[in-house]
Amino acid sequence: MEGIVAIWQRDVIKFFRDRARLVGSFAMPFMFLILFGSGMSGAISSMMGGAGSGPLADFDFVQFMFPGIIGMTVFNTAIFSALSVVQDKEFGYMREILVSPISRVSIAIGKVLGGSTVAVFQGLMMLIFVPFIGVAISVMMVLKLIPIMFLVAFTLSSIGLIIASSLKTAQGFQMVIQVLVFPMLFLSGALFPLSGMPAWMNFLVKINPLTYSVDMFKKIILQPEKMEPALRKAMGLDLTVFNHLITFSDEILGVALLGIVFVILATFRFSRAEA
Amino acid sequence: MSNIIEVSGLKKSYKDFEAVKGVDLNVKEGEIFGFLGPNGAGKSTTINMLSTITKPSEGTAKINGYDNVREKNKVRASIGLIFQEPTLDEKLTANENLMLHCKFYSVKKEIREERIQEVLQIVDLTDKRTNIVETFSGGMKRRLEIARGLLHYPKVLFLDEPTVGLDPQTRTHVWEYILKLKKKAGITIFMTTHYMDEAEICDRVAVIDHGELIALGTPEQLKSNVGGDIIEVSTEDNSAAKVLIEKNYQTEVIEIENAHLSFRVAKGSEFLVDFIKQFDIPIKSVNLRKPTLNDVFLQLTGREIRDETVAQKDIRRNKMRRGMH
Repeated sequence: MEGIVAIWQRDVIKFFRDRARLVGSFAMPFMFLILFGSGMSGAISSMMGGAGSGPLADFDFVQFMFPGIIGMTVFNTAIFSALSVVQDKEFGYMREILVSPISRVSIAIGKVLGGSTVAVFQGLMMLIFVPFIGVAISVMMVLKLIPIMFLVAFTLSSIGLIIASSLKTAQGFQMVIQVLVFPMLFLSGALFPLSGMPAWMNFLVKINPLTYSVDMFKKIILQPEKMEPALRKAMGLDLTVFNHLITFSDEILGVALLGIVFVILATFRFSRAEA
Repeated sequence: MSNIIEVSGLKKSYKDFEAVKGVDLNVKEGEIFGFLGPNGAGKSTTINMLSTITKPSEGTAKINGYDNVREKNKVRASIGLIFQEPTLDEKLTANENLMLHCKFYSVKKEIREERIQEVLQIVDLTDKRTNIVETFSGGMKRRLEIARGLLHYPKVLFLDEPTVGLDPQTRTHVWEYILKLKKKAGITIFMTTHYMDEAEICDRVAVIDHGELIALGTPEQLKSNVGGDIIEVSTEDNSAAKVLIEKNYQTEVIEIENAHLSFRVAKGSEFLVDFIKQFDIPIKSVNLRKPTLNDVFLQLTGREIRDETVAQKDIRRNKMRRGMH
């Protein structure tokens, strides 16, 4: 137990110590949200029936993107956290861990928890953008966001660890993650509304776990239940699978189940690789 | 004294290559045991098997009474390891590195502070406790690793080339610490080295070559096996001199680095007087000395332990690292 805490603690200490990484972590979200988002928002509103009258007039692209950007930050940080496993192998620290009496299972769980915690902090830091984009965030929302971010991050960190356990170099890891993360991100509805997609894309979106993760963030922040149905539809907030409207609890359950499966796989994979 | 390490028939093979071909040895509690051999002889593989990193193909090893394969975690709790390559987290402070180690090894909370102070004192790093390791010199990092290896009071400390890459002054320091430790904690030390002067400090020494133990004993025993004195001469024509000496004195002559010849005689000082008078080929220099462990090594393996340059060694090590992991 103490071993898990130690592994977790190390990742958290290092996260807060690395100032460059802290500052750098704002760069991507800033570009997407402010530069890309602001640029696109005019075009998207006019495409959605023009600014002026009707329920769609309330559509604000930057606000729409915000939950997606939080999602993106959490995914990226969580899945990239496993990079530290590869770096530890490269720089030798992994040997110090591996020859100690902590079990392989504890090491893997400590790593996943460390990555998840760091991802939650990173996600929370995105709330700095709130005053600039005009979404209303209440304390209740933040309290809801934290466990959901953790759940999502836990699943993604486990995926990261599965990949890291199979690879030997940091470069290889980065390559694999890029190839994996970008399509998942684009097909998750984080960056554009999931409406009016071709059938093949709709299929990919529906089997993508990130879709449901992003949707949870959207449900908390955008509060679709208070929207006009037409606006909700245009924003692609009514996710259905086989005509079943996906609820918040469905999503929690689904992501949690995936998280459990992936963390078991990750632990297994890590123990096998580092026996 | 009882045996703290018991090894019998230990083997390791990779596909069609036998790295270690059956090693038997016992190490007594409190001993400094030296494990010598040229690069690629099987030293690191053996140490990896003893420290549970590598699973043996055959044979058994027991440390502190625990089996290295079946009771891995108990063995791990009984040993400390100091690797050739640094394994500190350089982004953390010395204190954080030590604290994490305490947690990995379940050192009790109440005694952690005391332990950390104690080991830092042994290696003279007390005032650097809160500094980030990145800012340390090579020697300081090495000392910190030694301190860390001692934190959980291991029964056996494995040192893989503890002083490689250190300047002579730091080497001496590291040795002082190791000897201090042995005296203070009664720890058993199992080390590999290719510095022969360091091996002289060991209570007992084993020599391994091509995966097999070829000698085992105290440094004195091994040296007396070589016997007599060593004469080193350099002449105008070394190859002719080699033939001549071998013919005249019926002794085996080894040419070292094309610079001088080395051979063994029973009574060096008396031999030398006649030799210089009688020898036909002009002599440039001559030297008489007692055998060292290096001569033992030379005699057993036919080469010097340090006949590879550092560069070659690094290349090989990198290759091994890429290939084996």
